[in-house]
Amino acid sequence: MSMRVHRSSRRPALLLTLFLGALPLVASAPSVSARAAAIQDAAPAAAAGGTLAPHAEKSLRFAVIGDSGTGDKPQYQVGERMNESRSVFPYEFVLMLGDNIYGSEDFPKKFERPYKALLDLKIPFYASLGNHDDPNQRFYKPFNMDGKRYYTFEKEGARFFALDSNYMDQPQVDWLEKELSGSKNTWKIVYFHHPLYSSGARHGSEVDLRTVLEPLFLKYGVSVVFSGHEHFYERLKPQNGITYFTNGGAAKLREGNIRVGSEMTAKGFDTDRSYMLVEIAGKTMYFQALSRTGELIDSGSVEAVKAPPAEATVR
Amino acid sequence: MTPFVFLFALSLLPVAASAGPVLAASQPAQANPIGTAVLGFKERVAEYIKLQHQAESKVPKLTETNDASNVQRREAELAAMIKKLRPNANEGDIFGEDFRAVLAREVRRDFLGRSAADRKAVMQEQPLKMRLGVNMTYPTDKPLKTFPSQLLRKLPELPPELEYRIVAHHIVLRDVIANLIVDIARDVVPKIAD
Repeated sequence: MSMRVHRSSRRPALLLTLFLGALPLVASAPSVSARAAAIQDAAPAAAAGGTLAPHAEKSLRFAVIGDSGTGDKPQYQVGERMNESRSVFPYEFVLMLGDNIYGSEDFPKKFERPYKALLDLKIPFYASLGNHDDPNQRFYKPFNMDGKRYYTFEKEGARFFALDSNYMDQPQVDWLEKELSGSKNTWKIVYFHHPLYSSGARHGSEVDLRTVLEPLFLKYGVSVVFSGHEHFYERLKPQNGITYFTNGGAAKLREGNIRVGSEMTAKGFDTDRSYMLVEIAGKTMYFQALSRTGELIDSGSVEAVKAPPAEATVR
Repeated sequence: MTPFVFLFALSLLPVAASAGPVLAASQPAQANPIGTAVLGFKERVAEYIKLQHQAESKVPKLTETNDASNVQRREAELAAMIKKLRPNANEGDIFGEDFRAVLAREVRRDFLGRSAADRKAVMQEQPLKMRLGVNMTYPTDKPLKTFPSQLLRKLPELPPELEYRIVAHHIVLRDVIANLIVDIARDVVPKIAD
């Protein structure tokens, strides 16, 4: 299987050039540089392919899928790989980034059977809503939305915020601000369907949504954001100190859709379906992205950002 | 004098004072037409919500379930009950002609403030050829295009049972619980060339 790599980890010289090129930008934005989110692009040498084992014995582990609900063969194949990954990387729950059920609402075909092995193991799924989802999915218990379009939950000290990016009305924005400001967690992780930053040729960045959400993320110390919508995998270079992942290829694929030469891409994969595995150990988050065939696409780590003091000015 | 009337009278004092004694004596205070249109729209929304709650009381309660077909069945039952309670509902019954004009102006203003790329993004993936009608179920095979959040914040806030949605160049009011189109404001989304 061919893998399309825009920023290959096998090209350290290029990475170094890009890093050096970014330095003046960081230096000119002190409020951003204070938010120390560091990406290390190196996977353990022993794990050249396949699922990587966890880094720490006691850590929080979860999987992430997006745009999954087609009921087609690739969805089932990704489901199988996810189940296999669990034997190496025992994760406790799954985040869903929206478009959980496309078209006819056949939940058994598009959710219950593809992930049967995981559901049988009582692995909970936490869904967010995509533009192809009926908002009443929130009443479907296996999605763990507690009857709400947007909600928050905590796992071993990490706070997760699931948003409904289809309809970012004022009550939701107010709710998010209240929840983020009240959270003292080191890890604040937000997930929703539409990516604020994307190199996708089809959709691209959701600028309108970004103007509403990003100031809150910056103000309250969100470290990582997961989104779907674009049917590929992309890890963005940190934007204003926040690490964004687009991971909307768990069933659908928009082949060759990542704009070649996009300055935002840290790593891209748009030639097959994909899913992510994530581990949080202390102030470090380790991530890995895998393809439908179980091939390791990307891996690395992110450090939790420090929320600026309340009186600090954010843009 | 009730507290409300007293407060209303107090609120008029600065206007009357600035207009001078002749004007204050000869001309009644003019209502703001935009405010009146918005107020009327909000009242009609409140009336709809009352009807929706009435319909909800006649169908089984919606609770979390492991069987998704229960959610779909309940959604359809509620939609059927709403249709039964407003069988003669027409386009404009809730939006109203005066608020439709306000809406069109606000959307146009918002669109003019956007770049061509941004406008294109708003209109991308719109179900352009979708048939629309009041009391029609929103088809589950059609995406619910994201409503631009900046624009949303400029429009009157809706109760959680309702939402605005852009479909082609129209804005519909959609009952979220019943997945039902309850009103349509046609051609309020401008066709601005790139």
